[in-house]
Amino acid sequence: MQQREEKQLEASIDSLISRVAQLKNSLHNFIFKLENEYDRLTWPSVLDNFALLSGQLNTINKLLKNEKTPSLRNQVIIPLLLSQDRDEELAKLTELRVPVFSHEIVPDHLRTKPDPEVEEQEKHLSAEAARIGLDVAQKQIQALNKICSNLLEKLNNPREDRETESAAARQNKPFFNPADTTALVAAVGFGKGLAKCRPPGPVAPGQPGQGPIMAGGPSLQQVAVSGSSNQQAAIGGPVPPQQPGQPGKMPSNIKTNIKSASASMHPYNR
Amino acid sequence: MFSPFTTLVHSRNNCRLSRSAMEAPPVTVMPVTGGTINMMEYLLQGSVLDQALDSLLHRLRGLCDNIEPESFADYELVYLLKGQQGNPFLLRARRSMMHPTAPWHLRYLGQPEVGDKSRHALVRNCVDVATSHSLPEFLNEMGFRLDHEFVAKGHIFRKGALKVVVSKLFRVLVPGNTENTEPLSLSYLVELSVLAPAGQDNVSEEMRNFAEQLKPLVHLEKIDPKRHM
Repeated sequence: MQQREEKQLEASIDSLISRVAQLKNSLHNFIFKLENEYDRLTWPSVLDNFALLSGQLNTINKLLKNEKTPSLRNQVIIPLLLSQDRDEELAKLTELRVPVFSHEIVPDHLRTKPDPEVEEQEKHLSAEAARIGLDVAQKQIQALNKICSNLLEKLNNPREDRETESAAARQNKPFFNPADTTALVAAVGFGKGLAKCRPPGPVAPGQPGQGPIMAGGPSLQQVAVSGSSNQQAAIGGPVPPQQPGQPGKMPSNIKTNIKSASASMHPYNR
Repeated sequence: MFSPFTTLVHSRNNCRLSRSAMEAPPVTVMPVTGGTINMMEYLLQGSVLDQALDSLLHRLRGLCDNIEPESFADYELVYLLKGQQGNPFLLRARRSMMHPTAPWHLRYLGQPEVGDKSRHALVRNCVDVATSHSLPEFLNEMGFRLDHEFVAKGHIFRKGALKVVVSKLFRVLVPGNTENTEPLSLSYLVELSVLAPAGQDNVSEEMRNFAEQLKPLVHLEKIDPKRHM
């Protein structure tokens, strides 16, 4: 009888060790990937790694809950020998994490109670739980249950909701207006509906407040004027030059500029 | 001044290649050597109402490359150079309002081709270049005149080579003052574009598939701007 139990314990410990080793291995691989291949790691493969880890943890959990596994809680480990000397065998087993089995580390590694801070927190929580009355607790439980069931319902029939929603939206309002499309295309294409910056005719050069963009404009106009007709230049800078001859014809205005620019190169020859 | 100038020569020349039947460029064209400039822009356009913007952004976030979507606020100046005859020559100068120190962006867009039924997107010649901040003055000296200006604010998404720009257009009320603007309409402009070398028409197929996924929020179409002139 005793022997059979012992055998069972040994078998379960063995399988536990191998599972943990597998888990450690995959963790190791994942960390290596994160540290060394983070630049070409894709999100799906990260998810795959997480799935693998969670699967392995699940297996370990199942193994511990298995009926055939004897309750490990009932097993007692007693440290028989503490030593200040380095134990090579132990160091090898723990991958150099625990080289010495001494009084310093044994209480940590063989402890059965949580950390003092954790214990403190737990105490705090149970005190809190004891403080609120039964009625309040009951109400809170009900509220939480309600939220959870609502959430579950939503999660379970998402498609229905979404479909009805989008169908309703589709019926109710249009998403675009063809007239706006035309207007916008015309505006971006050739400025239809946008204020023309340059009023027709030669009024433009003298117009004040054109901002820094137009700064070059008037000066060119003046150069063109002084090049073509001297008496007008004498009258003063911003006088509209082509007013008498060509009323409101922009093409001719530009032509004049080009001609005068190519004929008298003096602004560029300095 | 160096960079806008070389740019201009490039784009001019390019323009002449693609539109040899059109007017001769008014300024002497210098020979261009090297450079890959024969890129085409494939474009689909649509719009979305302000109310539906969030749904669209949400969907784009799901469909596009998994990077933080970028927001932008740009100020675009469209310059015109009218020749003796033929079509005026248009250049678009753009600067970021969020990053004032960033280079300006100069863009030439060729005549849109929309006739080919087998192609699912509008195609036009496209030259992009970054320039220094003296671009407006330079264009002025060249004889270009400001035709119109607007402010565009919105978001950019990418999916591989596809680029999706969702932007709100604003009128500039006082010329040159980007603080004083009013929205052009109650919708956002949505543009799906790809830059590709000439002749790569299979990208339009990819664009159509992507556009399908944005329905019914946005109907991206091949729109001939001339029809709405």
